Amino acid sequence: MAASDGFKRHGEHSYLIQFDESEKDVLINLCEQIIELLAERVDHGHEDPLAALVGITSHDSPPDDEVLHRLLPNAYADQVDAAEFRRYTESTLRGKKQAHAISIRMALKSSPEGDVELDHDSANAWLGGLNDIRLALGVRLKIEDNNYEHLELLTPDDPMRGVYAVYSWLGWLQESLLEALMSEVD
Amino acid sequence: MVKTADAVEAEIREIFSNNSPWVTIVWDDPVNLQSYVTYVFMELFGYSKAKATELMLQVHNEGKAVVSTGGREEMEHDVARLHEYGLWATIQRGDQAI
Repeated sequence: MAASDGFKRHGEHSYLIQFDESEKDVLINLCEQIIELLAERVDHGHEDPLAALVGITSHDSPPDDEVLHRLLPNAYADQVDAAEFRRYTESTLRGKKQAHAISIRMALKSSPEGDVELDHDSANAWLGGLNDIRLALGVRLKIEDNNYEHLELLTPDDPMRGVYAVYSWLGWLQESLLEALMSEVD
Repeated sequence: MVKTADAVEAEIREIFSNNSPWVTIVWDDPVNLQSYVTYVFMELFGYSKAKATELMLQVHNEGKAVVSTGGREEMEHDVARLHEYGLWATIQRGDQAI
């Protein structure tokens, strides 16, 4: 089977793509890792069940993990305001990001042939989900400015080279979906 | 300068009114694609392609841009949605230097 050549617009609100087996596996695997990464932090025991029910968490500090910190950033420069905002919103944000990744995973899992059709809303979920994966990989690849030199120089046996290849492919995939979406907005 | 009672009253009203504007700022990020940032501005704020592109370029060239202005709650809503789509956004008072 030929490797995917990106998303194509099909009709007014429909976007089609054909993935091959290995592309599907890579994407499903990445989505599962993001879903797991975004799972609720279990903090030191005294979570108020009623507060948790309405999405308020007892933790208000930014996550220690660098990737999670990028996915769940502070909303205020002021630490007190940032902590307060996080207490009321982080749980919801985790859930929304997980939902994006779950939407990608579901679409791929339910397509034995690797063909996927998205409508406008699911296309947005895919964009958000693909972007989160790229942000996560970008932290690991230390993409800090628009300088990719350290990545171009990776030796073939460096595992980061494979990660960079996936990162680049995801960028291309996201761009193809954006082109398909924007072509109708023009 | 001695303030008149009216001026003092106006100032107090200003302090207690919830209208002092807040802003949502989006910061440059080397991972997010330019076309993606433009698209998110169009989708979330209903901006035209021209306005969204202009804001995206401001973020890219100047490192940051104010993308929306309003009450604090509105800005918190905007930031939450921008975070949902992975843009690096913060809130602050509109009169603070950015």
